[in-house]
Amino acid sequence: MGNRVAIVGIGQTYHKSNRKDVNMQEMVGEAVRAALVDAQVKAKDVEAVFTANMETFENIFLPDELMADEMAAFMKPGLKVGTGGTSGASVVEEGFHFVASGLFDTAMVVGFEKQDCGDTTAAITAAVTPVWGKGVATGAIGEFAKQALTYMQKTGAKEEHAAMVRLKADKGACRNPYAHLRLGLKSIQEVLDSGYLVWPLRFLDFCPQSVGACALILASEQKAKKITKKPVWIADVVTVHQEPFRAGSFGDPTGKEAYSQDIAVERLYKRNGITNPIKDMCMAEIYEPSNWEEMSHYEHYHFCEKNEGWKMVEKGITEMEGAFPVNPSGGVIATNPIGATPTIRVAEAALQVRGDAGEHQVTRDVHTAMATALGGPNWTVVTLLRRSL
Amino acid sequence: MAELMADRVEKLKDLDVFVYHGKIYIPNTYTAGAVGTRFLIELREKKRIMGTKCPACDMVYVPARSVCKYCFAQLDKWEEVSDTGTLLTYTVAGRPNGVQPVDPPIIYGIIQLDGATTGLVHMLSEVDFEKLVIGMRVKAVFSEKRVGSILDIKYFKPLV
Amino acid sequence: MTTEKKAEKKPEYIKVEIARPRAYRWSSGRYLGRLYKEAMDNKKLVTNRCPKCKELLWPPGGVCGRCNVEAGEDWVVMSDKGTVIQYTYLVFPLWDPHYGDRLANPYPTATIKLDEGVFLVHFLEEKDPEKLKNVKRVQAVWKEEGRGRGLADILYFRTIDE
Repeated sequence: MGNRVAIVGIGQTYHKSNRKDVNMQEMVGEAVRAALVDAQVKAKDVEAVFTANMETFENIFLPDELMADEMAAFMKPGLKVGTGGTSGASVVEEGFHFVASGLFDTAMVVGFEKQDCGDTTAAITAAVTPVWGKGVATGAIGEFAKQALTYMQKTGAKEEHAAMVRLKADKGACRNPYAHLRLGLKSIQEVLDSGYLVWPLRFLDFCPQSVGACALILASEQKAKKITKKPVWIADVVTVHQEPFRAGSFGDPTGKEAYSQDIAVERLYKRNGITNPIKDMCMAEIYEPSNWEEMSHYEHYHFCEKNEGWKMVEKGITEMEGAFPVNPSGGVIATNPIGATPTIRVAEAALQVRGDAGEHQVTRDVHTAMATALGGPNWTVVTLLRRSL
Repeated sequence: MAELMADRVEKLKDLDVFVYHGKIYIPNTYTAGAVGTRFLIELREKKRIMGTKCPACDMVYVPARSVCKYCFAQLDKWEEVSDTGTLLTYTVAGRPNGVQPVDPPIIYGIIQLDGATTGLVHMLSEVDFEKLVIGMRVKAVFSEKRVGSILDIKYFKPLV
Repeated sequence: MTTEKKAEKKPEYIKVEIARPRAYRWSSGRYLGRLYKEAMDNKKLVTNRCPKCKELLWPPGGVCGRCNVEAGEDWVVMSDKGTVIQYTYLVFPLWDPHYGDRLANPYPTATIKLDEGVFLVHFLEEKDPEKLKNVKRVQAVWKEEGRGRGLADILYFRTIDE
């Protein structure tokens, strides 16, 4: 299975809706420096640098070239990784593979997005090939809206449950100084009072467009033990990409098709001796583009039985003080710089394992955590982190 | 705008193949950042070209940037460089490509201004292409109307 | 004596705008081209069938991804009737950024399963949210003029009694 690899440094920017005070490279530089300081590692000691972002937004074809200086990547090998929404996790996997191969001792992986420099709606709409899909204008949001409706019809979940998830996310975000949207929501009613965007999705049901970067420094076992007393081991990474569903982009209303999430966690759990996910693992940072999706993902990640995701919410199981906390950082619904978002999931899960998440550290002791990533069309990357292997 | 973006589908003559002619429009507004902004404001307000200095590596970067590529130090020392420098190399672009600041033919040059350790890419004018020589001394000509853009320098011309 | 409050000077941050549409010429290829042609000439939806798994490809293409075989030329004309699987409608107006000030299509969108089993996303004629809940069987309403854009040759799907 390759040599052992640990996360030895974690850095991220304070995510915002815009950053006029920096250009793209300087923003990435902030996350890179934060990770180097966290690891107490010198820039010149990082052997390879990997970047991830969704190029169409900023329209910079070779971002790693643009930001080579700010990533201390001058004269170092590396790659740009582009797997759509999962780019930020695929870049972690890439760094992990390089170090696990034994050919590299250290690597830095950086996910970033500067959406105030682009036009997200235009970019996503442009991604739909005109020869097939143009003109069906509700795009990604329309797909999530249809999915929310299907979830309600199939499982009996109510809009109140989605609102509870949104409240949980905001509570976490307000305790996370790096999060973007920190609204201070006080009640379910506040969420229900926000208007509909595309029925039945409300304004508050969907993730924002954020600006930010996240960097992780990875090291081989030998190096990691010299660098830090608290290495977070990457136990496993499983990627499952899939052909688009015949009847949807992120969900299958027919109920007949296999989901990449189910397949990915089946492999992950089997390979790592996990038989009861919410007992054998301690928490998860999942990539939920909407609160409805979060409930559906509880089922597809096998945290609960099918059609019962909303019951976990009702019972408070996934709250920060709950038996199996999910997204104590606020999740994607509070912070979404697309290229960085999956990297942030890994970073936040790693902070929990290290016990360094500050005010949003969960009550339960975290020795094993899972981070997930989602991209279109329903691609999944799941990463398992452990305090000790 | 609708006219600008109008698309059309064309059927190829002898084949059942259709070609979709259209445009992708994704507007970008790149933030210059604090360092970039200061560089551009100096051009606009004072017709001054500024660089940032890394004393450890003996580098003066023009245009100003915030990090040293060699030692990764964050740069906070600003230094004015001359508006005159040496032409390191040059070329001419003959064909229009839709993104040029002026109509072609355009002479592009890389100029090392006195005091800078990097080359600056810009345009050359008031000179015949055949008369250009590597090593020539050239001087910046500023635009009358300046807005805080690299084009606040209109072009470089040979120093006679 | 008047005291003047000095206005707080906000720092200036410069942005560089690059807003240039980029032209493309994307070919439909032969298989999608056949779909385009049948829609344009005959107001019919067609697709091809995989010789191995016998499933209809959608959209029509050269390769069946599930079987990894060449899809071939077994073309099937489909009825333009189907059943609504799921729908949604815009509440907050979204505008299509590619057309500047043109409003995104105001009709509700739906995932429709055609009777032959393929799914497509298209518009519904019915706009009333109460009536939308009960829309089940639908049929395509084709543009009478100006066809030649594939699925966009269908205006929307109309509710039918069946």
